[in-house]
Amino acid sequence: MRKILLGLAITSTLLTSCSSDDEVNNPTITVEAPATYKFTRDGNSTVDFNGQTTRIKMAMELRSALKDNTKSAAELQALFSHREGDIDFSDAELNASKKNVRNKVAASKDLFGANTTLSNEIKSLMDSWIEQQATTVFPNWEMTATAGSAGQLQQAGGGAVRYVNGKGLELDQAVAKTLIGGLMTDQMLNNYLSTSVLDEASNIQNNDNAIVESGKFYTTMEHKWDEAYGYLYGNEVDPAVPVLGADSFLNTYLNQVDADADFAGTAAAVYDAFKLGRAAIVAKNYDLRDEQVAIIRKNVSLVPAVRAVHYLQEGKLSMAAGDTAKAFHALSEALGFINSLQFTRQPNTNSPYFTNAEVTAFMDTLLAENGFWDVTPETLDSISGTIASKFGFPVAAAN
Amino acid sequence: MLKKIALVFSLALIVACSSSDDSSQGGTTDTFDRSALLKNLADNIIIPAYQDFGIKLTNLKGSINAFVATPNQNTLDAARKTWLTAYSAWQHLEMYNIGKAEALNQYYYFMNIYPVTVSDIENGVLTGAFDLNTPSYHDAQGFPALDYLLYGLAADDAGIIAKFSTDKNAQGYKDYLTAVINQMDKLTKDVITDWTTVYRDQFVNSSQNTATSSLNKFVNDYIFYYEKGLRANKIGIPAGVFSSTPLPNKVEGYYNQKVSKALSLEALNAVQNVFNGKSFNGSATGASFKTYLDYLETNKEGEKLSMLINNQFDLARTKIQALDSNFSAQINADNSKMTAAYDALQRAVVYLKVDMVQAFNISVDYIDADGD
Repeated sequence: MRKILLGLAITSTLLTSCSSDDEVNNPTITVEAPATYKFTRDGNSTVDFNGQTTRIKMAMELRSALKDNTKSAAELQALFSHREGDIDFSDAELNASKKNVRNKVAASKDLFGANTTLSNEIKSLMDSWIEQQATTVFPNWEMTATAGSAGQLQQAGGGAVRYVNGKGLELDQAVAKTLIGGLMTDQMLNNYLSTSVLDEASNIQNNDNAIVESGKFYTTMEHKWDEAYGYLYGNEVDPAVPVLGADSFLNTYLNQVDADADFAGTAAAVYDAFKLGRAAIVAKNYDLRDEQVAIIRKNVSLVPAVRAVHYLQEGKLSMAAGDTAKAFHALSEALGFINSLQFTRQPNTNSPYFTNAEVTAFMDTLLAENGFWDVTPETLDSISGTIASKFGFPVAAAN
Repeated sequence: MLKKIALVFSLALIVACSSSDDSSQGGTTDTFDRSALLKNLADNIIIPAYQDFGIKLTNLKGSINAFVATPNQNTLDAARKTWLTAYSAWQHLEMYNIGKAEALNQYYYFMNIYPVTVSDIENGVLTGAFDLNTPSYHDAQGFPALDYLLYGLAADDAGIIAKFSTDKNAQGYKDYLTAVINQMDKLTKDVITDWTTVYRDQFVNSSQNTATSSLNKFVNDYIFYYEKGLRANKIGIPAGVFSSTPLPNKVEGYYNQKVSKALSLEALNAVQNVFNGKSFNGSATGASFKTYLDYLETNKEGEKLSMLINNQFDLARTKIQALDSNFSAQINADNSKMTAAYDALQRAVVYLKVDMVQAFNISVDYIDADGD
């Protein structure tokens, strides 16, 4: 959607041409991606995404605290909507930060810039899950869960203990898996990789002329791209050379999807597209950049879809095997991933694969009456099939 | 200010690339008469609006002077009435941050920054040591300070009148109130004089397309005002769009408690009238953003862009009309109606800030700072 370029210096090589979508821009110059995600200007690194790393670390602490039954509702909520200087986290740097998780949930420019009312509804649902964990699940921590009342259930064979609400839902899972979509995916796909952000104001002009941000080594466009990168790889030990499994969120679940032979190569496709797209920005080749955006959108959107179907099917099988705790755990993950589907992005459109109304209907179906206690295999298969067919993979591929 | 100076290159080349879903004019320089648009803006809209405001501000000054001389219910009522009349007229001017208004380091900084910092006002009253020309007093003067002084000083009218008569700091209150209206009066006269003597011709004659040409600057000021002054300040900020929780004390006219909606609607009317080139005094329309877009035959999604923009303004108006006359009360009762109004306003931002400026071949010279 890039349209206007003003003020190109005529003495420099003209890297721009008017092209329709299917034309390859600038065929004479080949952009090569570097081996790793390292970019420099005059010897200084131009890559920075410390804000993303901060928010991932905050989300990690929130996720752990949701399983600490000594926490109050207010303490949990403070981890979600931290205020600068409040002592909410174990990490002093997080406490000093003015950032928080909540205000970047359902907050992308493309999907929520003019949908703040919906954004508030989505945040409020998460607020209510967090509060319910403290007010309903924690008081029943040692009770055995039954249909309609919260408590614990142990997986078969001396397995893990799961803490669920009256509908069998692990609220901590619902929150954590919703963040994969609502925070990481939404910010990445629908904000930082969007032309509305990458090309805002004079970004193209400034990038064309290597005009960096005040006091920084990067152009605004480079930085926006890196911030998208940071939501996926920001918690890696060496983010330039990601090994995956570095958080409990998108990074780890991209890895899990990639580990499924049916989806092998997904992780490499994303990493390569990030590198090439970033190199394309350096080379001022915005068509090539946007081709990489499409690749990233397609592959990252696949993560919540594959995992949702995977866990719905696992829930069905565990239920049939009589392992209620394991089934509920799987369905809780599934519910969070389903909620995350509203933050995906169909490449070359302005739409997610599933709307808020659609994922809400799925969740309402799963949680109707006594929720997971009486959900049927037919329902689980039906939702699995709808999701899988929208993304064009067979349900069995996600097993 | 978020404004960045756009760079002008000695040898500028304008290249427009259009993707397949875009039908704005590419490549060529259009032949629309920008000067006619600037003339209509200056002569039929901006200058008449300033002159109207000048009269209303003079009335406000007179009634405040009468209140200061004789603080009683009658003079208080009169001051409040003229305050609201002038405040409504102000809604037509805040977007014109160009020429003298800009040169004053933002005339509107001295006229309508809210919420006020009450402690600065009270400290000024107490000590007499205040300088309304310093940036730290931007949020302790103008219409919001008058709002506080005429409505917020005490729980009831008798208490407010007492602050200006029997209170031990009565003279301090009188002095502060007088200083505020004198400052507004002086700066307004400066701006009006500039428009009616030298600036009008400068404005109209600067009809090229460079970063510092009149229309380029005016379009930027217009969109910036729509985004910040109207959408964010009046609705978005108090509704909590940019914060963790709603901030109902940040509405315009907070102490009056009745006019935040009326002022917002007035501002939206002003924005739409400028878009359509509607004369300030009357219903005639002239060259405008609308006629420029129509001249360029700018379409989006198969519709005329000018129509989409007007429809969106109309929709936003409907959403604002559905709100409580006091936005604070609306936020506390049902904030989702406030965010719905914000969303309706926001949808026009894309039309203006992306589609319209592309059609006009104008660069946006400011950016929202909302990253990590």
